[in-house]
Amino acid sequence: MNNRTTTTTAAGARPAAIGSFGGPSLRLPLTLGFVAIVFVAGAVAPSYFAGDFMLRLANEGLLLGMLALSVAFLMNQAGLVALGAASIYGGAGLLFAIAMSEWNMTPTGALCASFLIIVVYATVLGALIVRTNPLAFMMLTLAAGEMISHGVMLEGLRDYTGGADGLVVNFKGSIFGMEAADFASPARFWLVAWVGAWLAGLALWAVGRSRLGAILRAVRENEERMRFSGFDTYLPRLIAYVLVNIVAAIAGLLHVLNAGFVSPESLGLSISTNTLVAALMGGIAGSVGPIVGGLIFSFAQDEFGARGLTQLLTGIVIVVFIVVFPRGVVGGLWSAARLRARVGRRETS
Amino acid sequence: MIALLIANSLALAALLIMLASGLALIYGLRDVINFGHGAIYMLGAYLGYTVALVGGFWLALVVVPVLLAVLGIAFEYLALRPLQSRSHIEVALVTLGLGIILGQIIIFFYGGAARSVDAPQILSGSITVLNLSYPVYRIFLIVMGLGSCALLALWLGFTPSGLYVRAVSQDPSVARMMGINADRLSLLVTSLSAAFAGVAGVLAGPYLSIDPGMDVTMIVNCLIIVVIGGTGSIGGAIVAALLFGLVQVAGSVFLPSIAALVPYILLMVVLLIAPRGIGRGRVLN
Repeated sequence: MNNRTTTTTAAGARPAAIGSFGGPSLRLPLTLGFVAIVFVAGAVAPSYFAGDFMLRLANEGLLLGMLALSVAFLMNQAGLVALGAASIYGGAGLLFAIAMSEWNMTPTGALCASFLIIVVYATVLGALIVRTNPLAFMMLTLAAGEMISHGVMLEGLRDYTGGADGLVVNFKGSIFGMEAADFASPARFWLVAWVGAWLAGLALWAVGRSRLGAILRAVRENEERMRFSGFDTYLPRLIAYVLVNIVAAIAGLLHVLNAGFVSPESLGLSISTNTLVAALMGGIAGSVGPIVGGLIFSFAQDEFGARGLTQLLTGIVIVVFIVVFPRGVVGGLWSAARLRARVGRRETS
Repeated sequence: MIALLIANSLALAALLIMLASGLALIYGLRDVINFGHGAIYMLGAYLGYTVALVGGFWLALVVVPVLLAVLGIAFEYLALRPLQSRSHIEVALVTLGLGIILGQIIIFFYGGAARSVDAPQILSGSITVLNLSYPVYRIFLIVMGLGSCALLALWLGFTPSGLYVRAVSQDPSVARMMGINADRLSLLVTSLSAAFAGVAGVLAGPYLSIDPGMDVTMIVNCLIIVVIGGTGSIGGAIVAALLFGLVQVAGSVFLPSIAALVPYILLMVVLLIAPRGIGRGRVLN
């Protein structure tokens, strides 16, 4: 195990040596092949090996991971911490339920309508709050999230939102060729969540590597300098904010399709902090970390939640990971592997 | 009617001033928003409940702030100082985590049920001023709130340490160059801010209910006030707390159906008009 990691990473880190003997570098095709194998194996294997209960936990973990992905992207690229992710996540689900039951829309129509409303809300909110400094942004997202979760509980909206009871979603017909029973089946839903998480991860990874990502990171480092240099610092951040909320809304819609139920707790602060914890645990740099963090959180919550320790653990994890392991699990393993590869190369040469 | 409304909003604002000015003080010195402030306030309320059961309300009002000042010193030494080199956002997140931990520990010991504290004999009942009957306790609350506000203003305005605090809040690097020890000031300010939160917690006992959700409610309200007041501006925070109290109370009278949302609407309106808040806070990147 030890040897293998060393040799493969060392070979991968020296593309020039390979390229000079055997044509073009093998690094890209090898990476692509490896990614494809992980994708296919991850899509197929769990349905065969894991029971329904494990799959359900894994599904929850993937959805939380998608949400964590959105928070981590904004943290990593723009230096902005959003504490109101749950209001988008739960809000999208709740709107879907309302569109189905109150506005009598078809499932696909309700899906599109709720998605659009959330995107418009995120755009308006983002237009207001992304121009503030990062600390104020954090406070404002917390306040906006609390506003939504209080708004849902208003007495006057009870007929719409179900108040503290939440809403049950039973849709007839199909969405993208899948029926309610398909979404409720853990094994079938795993495929949907897996593909969704991959798409979200790849999309945000691509944005992070694009010009937009570069501008976001530069603004994060020094906004004034970017403004001096003639860059618009407002629009890129707004676009990033809307983009991550699109990912959060998709996760929320997938969640309500899977659970068939939306509760007011899914809009609450504890979901937002859980998301933050998942992102910090996995590591905010890159797309793999937050999703792994979501999975870890989901299984850890199953272990400790019955003893009422989830919230306490949430607090401890936030503190410990920021102070001691700021790179998170995936980031930490990644840098450890690179370090080992570098040491191994020095020994061989 | 109007007089009653103003008095009620002053009573609410009194509590908020004590908490929000504590937040603004720490922010001024350390550039950190203490997201755990709500939990400190909640600890103050629960400790106040326990001490009041044993030795009465007045004892609680003295003992709890002292205990929390010690907690503030621990917070300064164990969290703020070791993390001085980290980014402000990271420290803010650590305070969020510490607040969650503290809140959970309190719930572990006291359970999830709401508690209430009786006001002492002399403050219970109501008095009649200008044909209006008003609870004595709320008048006491207003006096305490405005009194602590005045003390704070006197301290900041007329003592050497207050001058240093203002200097560091205005320009940390220049203040340090002039030989001000920001660490020692920060110790003072952090313990003071925690003690204020303790006073607010004890005072909240007979006025609001003591329940496990009080920390989140209060911290969100305080954050709204700090943003409206202009982050880091103490004067702005005081004005914003008064405004907030008025809007909150007026909202529950005139717009009871959406009263819970009124503070947020206020926040959005202020952000639209003046994104940096109403006070002259230091603008930070």
